Amino acid sequence: MSFELLVALGVLFGVGFGYCVQRAGLCFAHGLGEIYMGHGTRIIRMFIVIFVITSAGFLLSGLISPSLGLKPIGQLRGFGFFNLLSGILFGAGIALNGGCILGTLRQIGEGNLAFLIVFVAFIPGLALVVYVFDPALGPSYSTQKVTLPAMLHVAAPWVTAALVSGALVWYFAVCRRK
Amino acid sequence: MELRARLKSPLFMVGYFALLNVAMYLTISKFWIGGSSFLPMIGKLGDGNKFLFAFLVNMGVIGGAFLGAYSNREFRLRMPRVNMLPKLIIGGMLIGMGVTIAPGTCTTAFVTGMPMLSVSSFLSAAGIFIGAFAVYSFTLGRR
Repeated sequence: MSFELLVALGVLFGVGFGYCVQRAGLCFAHGLGEIYMGHGTRIIRMFIVIFVITSAGFLLSGLISPSLGLKPIGQLRGFGFFNLLSGILFGAGIALNGGCILGTLRQIGEGNLAFLIVFVAFIPGLALVVYVFDPALGPSYSTQKVTLPAMLHVAAPWVTAALVSGALVWYFAVCRRK
Repeated sequence: MELRARLKSPLFMVGYFALLNVAMYLTISKFWIGGSSFLPMIGKLGDGNKFLFAFLVNMGVIGGAFLGAYSNREFRLRMPRVNMLPKLIIGGMLIGMGVTIAPGTCTTAFVTGMPMLSVSSFLSAAGIFIGAFAVYSFTLGRR
């Protein structure tokens, strides 16, 4: 598949994502705020729906084509320390401006220009890490690509089944409590 | 609730969103990522333009959100208040740093990484909870 065709299809999927996210009003930053204030039912249900459908889909994709299936996303850096650190910085950032990546893109699409400023402000943050921190830390980085099944030495379907079952129990518990 | 209204409810929309995510992986063997996709903004396109591809997918997200908002008469140009600017800029910079120190945004971690059972995404998600709660407890505590 040519890169142009790949991009065209990718952008079409992006438009679909954007439409659904806008109609759902999905934003993890708002969701975390709701959880913090004790009104997290909506975002927890949304997250569980995404997790269950996507987990099952990704696992079953391996049956359709061996080149698909579960793959580690990103890297474990510095034995997980940098992942945790990046998460903390990211979490602080989204809580400060009230929009995660999804929320930022959605709000720009809805005409909220405040999030265009957030979007442009990514640039100095990205540049600082890529051009200053990375060259300094690069040699000391230990990077691994690890999935939960490989780490636990358990077959992937069992891990997915356990997590999806747990998520479904959580979903029904949240619905009953509502 | 009437069936048609139910099919358009936020929970169903989130379900379609998840199905699209799987469909994208099945049809073009790519998944949606958030963090590294913004590296083209500083000139890093990635091997085989992989970051550029992800960036363009995210531009599609803006287009889709516009479509959703416009078709439902929710599109409205809103200017930020000047006193919000420092918060927006610092927040944006922290996001920019967070997504590059190790790949892992809410999209990558919650939407793609955790369903892929990627250990790095579970750690990123834990970090996001800690960071967000630290800021929320500080800001809400002051009110």
